[in-house]
Amino acid sequence: MKATHNVHNFLEQFWPSTVDGLALGSIYALIALGYTMVYGVLRLINFAHSEIFMIGTMAVIGALHALGVSSLYGGLGLVGFVIVLAFLAGLASGASAVVLELVAYRPLRKKGASRLAALISAIGASLFLQQLFARIVIPEAFDLPKEKGALPVQGHFVERDNVIEIGDLVISNDKLIIFVGAILMMVALDQFVNRTRLGRGIRATAQDPETAVLMGVNIDRIVTATFAIGGAMAGVAAALFMLRFEEAKFDVGFLLGIKAFTAAVLGGIGNLRGALAGGLVLGLVEMYGAALFGTQWQHVIAFSVLVLVLMFRPTGILGESLQQARA
Amino acid sequence: MLLEVKDIHVHYGKIAALHGVSLEVDEGEIVTLIGANGAGKTTTLKTISGLRPLSRGKIMFDGADISRVAGHKRVLSGIGQAPEGRGIFPGMTVTENLMMGCYARKGDVSRDLAQVFELFPRLAERKDQAGGTMSGGEQQMLAIGRALMTNPRVLLLDEPSMGLAPKLIQQIFSIIQEINRRGTTVLLVEQNAQQALQVAHRAYVIETGEIVKSAEASALLDDPEVRAAYLGGGADRPVGGSEPEQAAGAPEEPRDG
Repeated sequence: MKATHNVHNFLEQFWPSTVDGLALGSIYALIALGYTMVYGVLRLINFAHSEIFMIGTMAVIGALHALGVSSLYGGLGLVGFVIVLAFLAGLASGASAVVLELVAYRPLRKKGASRLAALISAIGASLFLQQLFARIVIPEAFDLPKEKGALPVQGHFVERDNVIEIGDLVISNDKLIIFVGAILMMVALDQFVNRTRLGRGIRATAQDPETAVLMGVNIDRIVTATFAIGGAMAGVAAALFMLRFEEAKFDVGFLLGIKAFTAAVLGGIGNLRGALAGGLVLGLVEMYGAALFGTQWQHVIAFSVLVLVLMFRPTGILGESLQQARA
Repeated sequence: MLLEVKDIHVHYGKIAALHGVSLEVDEGEIVTLIGANGAGKTTTLKTISGLRPLSRGKIMFDGADISRVAGHKRVLSGIGQAPEGRGIFPGMTVTENLMMGCYARKGDVSRDLAQVFELFPRLAERKDQAGGTMSGGEQQMLAIGRALMTNPRVLLLDEPSMGLAPKLIQQIFSIIQEINRRGTTVLLVEQNAQQALQVAHRAYVIETGEIVKSAEASALLDDPEVRAAYLGGGADRPVGGSEPEQAAGAPEEPRDG
């Protein structure tokens, strides 16, 4: 009886789940880029990347407060406004990622420390940034009493309406912007990595860092660029996240970060196109799973995917990585 | 002197890989550094290119002390290297690999590219193929061609004959001579001492992180100790003295091939 109910529910929810899954997956994919790029170049899982995302959401809310936005945007005005917010958040997150690398990773790298040391430094930086925001930055920035810094802060600016309605397939403006925005960013990044000089330097460093030095590639500059780009993508993801959810708090990056990391592993860590594929697949699996088994199972399903991928196909769906791939 | 290595010491952790290597390469020469596996040949080249820090001694290039200059800047000043294991970027095409050679350099490079294709017609035929899918010989040509794209004044070659069939080895060595004829100085590291001594002007013998002999290449070809140790002359005693060649402190350079 239960099973037929579930299947019935799933079929009924198919199109809404698909749309939600693609929107959520787009955000995962953009965050996953940061994990995958840094891993490709340094073989480091940058666990503080989730806080780089959080900083992006705070930049968006900060901008909304600073601009005194009180009216809601819809239509093309919303698109333009999201582009401005994404630019600001990308700047804030990208700059934070560069500083993070300089403070938490570079000194270790220069000393030739082990990868385990860098990983511990990453976890330390993640906790530090969370607490810094909960206790100081958020209360100061939003005029809150100190003890309320850990509570969610809001930023409303979206007037939602449905832009596509074909039978059961209903797509709202925010989800459409998220999906299209994420795809555009991925295409731009793909072109950048394949066609520009800096992009070639990043690929060379990922494929063989010592030989890259023999070609005159300044590895430090490549690492800085990688963190800047990965951070900026997380910032754009933060703007798109705010478009959908309109609130964030100091640990908003935690769960999303682990999900995005799962997406990166699912697509094949080190592989840029894999990050997109992994993000979208994970988003869909989560939403379909929620429709089948109930939303309380959403996270269980996502992390079961991580465990299964690590067990049976640790190289991910697309297998080859930034080290090997043309992209 | 174009390149002078003066009494350099290099350590991996606490273990000394080089203890006091000195050698000189003059403009226009082919100089070879021969020695057994793990003697410190690759470490010497990596240190000259700035991939390994030295703990003592210095490296002079064109009269300037470059011991503390960052590796990526040494390329611009004219030190090019085709590394051990070739270091081909597997996901890049032949042309992309070659263009990495002029990553740091500005200006028109089409003439250099044409020259490399003329020297290695095989690379021109395969210019859109991924580097990782090429044969060992082709990869070696690509590694040398790519090093030439850095427009080097001295070209460092690390075991270009490794893993190649005899016919290909002949071909690679005659190309090395051609490159030298066209005006590029060459420092060649080889385990294939026979071939290396035949193309080089001068040679050094390295054992367990130390230079134990240096002479005209032709003289070393006739040297009974060198013949015995490196040219298949029968006796198995190394040149430097009583110790067996793998015994002392020089660790094997980690390989990436």
